[in-house]
Amino acid sequence: MKKIMDSPDSKSEFKLGRKLKTGARAVVTLTSFLGPALSVMGIVILYPIVEGARLSLFSYKLTRPSDVGFSWFDNYNYMISDAVFWEAMQNTFVFTGCVVGISCLVGLIMALLLQRPLIIFKFLRGIVLIPWVIPGIVIGYLFLYMFDFEIGIINNMLVQSGLIRKALPWLADRELAMVAIIIAHVWNQTPFFLLMFTAGLMSIPEEALEAAYLEGSSSWQEFRYVVFAYLKKIMVIATLLMVIRNFNNFPVIYAMTGGGPSFSTTTAVIYIYRVAFERFDIGYASAIGTIWVLILLTLSIIYTRFLKDEF
Amino acid sequence: MVHRKISVAASLLIAAILTIFIIWTFFPIYWMFSTSIKFALEVFNISPELFPKNPTLEHYYALDKGSIKVSVFLKNSIITGLGTVILAMFLALFAGYALSRFRFRMKKFISLGILTTQMFPLVVLLIPLYLLYKRLNLLNSYIGLILSFTSFTLPFSIWMLKGFIDSIPIELEESAIIDGCSKLQILFHIVTPLIVPGLVATMVFAFLDAWNNLLFPLMLVTRPSMKTLPPGMVLAFAGEFKHNWGGMMATSVIVSLPVVVVFVTMQKYLVQGLTAGAVKG
Repeated sequence: MKKIMDSPDSKSEFKLGRKLKTGARAVVTLTSFLGPALSVMGIVILYPIVEGARLSLFSYKLTRPSDVGFSWFDNYNYMISDAVFWEAMQNTFVFTGCVVGISCLVGLIMALLLQRPLIIFKFLRGIVLIPWVIPGIVIGYLFLYMFDFEIGIINNMLVQSGLIRKALPWLADRELAMVAIIIAHVWNQTPFFLLMFTAGLMSIPEEALEAAYLEGSSSWQEFRYVVFAYLKKIMVIATLLMVIRNFNNFPVIYAMTGGGPSFSTTTAVIYIYRVAFERFDIGYASAIGTIWVLILLTLSIIYTRFLKDEF
Repeated sequence: MVHRKISVAASLLIAAILTIFIIWTFFPIYWMFSTSIKFALEVFNISPELFPKNPTLEHYYALDKGSIKVSVFLKNSIITGLGTVILAMFLALFAGYALSRFRFRMKKFISLGILTTQMFPLVVLLIPLYLLYKRLNLLNSYIGLILSFTSFTLPFSIWMLKGFIDSIPIELEESAIIDGCSKLQILFHIVTPLIVPGLVATMVFAFLDAWNNLLFPLMLVTRPSMKTLPPGMVLAFAGEFKHNWGGMMATSVIVSLPVVVVFVTMQKYLVQGLTAGAVKG
């Protein structure tokens, strides 16, 4: 390098050369660092979404492989008049609304009750999270077993305690089946909200609570104007995240009811699955899938907007 | 924190609520375990016993017998899980480093785009992915499963490692550049040793993601001998075995056990990861 420095001409040449070289090299480095991850995600996630949107414009039934053809928006037209599609939409909203609403409320109450600095509470806060990490398929089979008509522990306990006279056909009844899958998901998701709210409560500065206390505010006022103000953002983020998650939820419902009886617990994703793998109507399943991706895309854009200030 | 005095009645009420909540949370887990060690006859008792009278491991032994062996699913789950861990960790380490340290156009768009992909429903991807895998001969293969598991665990792994790398002071790397280290050397000799806890947590998450995945192996694997545990359960407890509750609960214990053990031992990191994104970890 010293040699080059000696002559002014070669020095400027060197500078230019170096700049070009680093520019090209930077691109190569960037590509080799980011490229592999992006290509795997491109193949497994992005390509199927684009291909799904294309297939949604085709009449494509696996039962009639010779009859595949471009059909414009026929699948979408059919969707609008398909009563089961609207039933699945309604189920998705009822299911998600109930699960997220109840889990959020119970999680909040339990986080508030468990926030006292007792060692036993700290321990409890840790282990009550276990339902959240149990795999979905296990939750599904576990509640399938507990809700069983004949030997299920839930019917047994309800009858023994005199709350009901006769065993209830939980998973065979249209309304009760929905209640049962909501209960299973609330069991699974309450710990998540508990975790989020506990983290939120810990971020409240003590001075804020002390000030409220010294000013003589009631417990309710303290909660409403101090605690809630700090928890609001976490609540919005956690709720959005769980709405997205439940909009995509598959294994628990699949194992418990498979979407039945008839279509009473069929949510959007279960319906997509049933159309594709029970009716083998690839075109129509792709059309519902494409609409569902658009809905989720909107939700996740809202979600990342909320997160933006965090990063 | 300020603690208001509460009356005896109020504390009794709180204790009652807590007790109910604890029973509600742990009873199903207890019930899964206790059913798995009950004799089949006892399981089918119309009024079930709360405690198993003669504990037995017969359901666990049976998992390795018969035409559908759960032990085969277990092996497949472990192989694909470990494969996912290795692949996801490498890809995420490079991508996370790039997103943390490099400056380039569209960086924000790519970062948020990666985050968005994990919100997409798996079901929607299945049909095109099935057709693609069929063309590429990836159906019924470990590679195919590992690729699909990896893609879904990547967004989270990348964000998590990016967060850990962000927290390392950049001065360390600057002095390495002056010493003439390449980017690769910096990544492996300076950055990686500093984020070992983050790497371990990311690897655990990747493993659990693969371990829990039902839909991909349900559709992308048609040969029973290649199925992982979740779709294996669907296969093993269908039809005539629908009411083999003892076997079903024993399998459930096996599927849940690694997850719960990991969770209890690595709670700190896991909680950090779970809240990452929603609460600054």
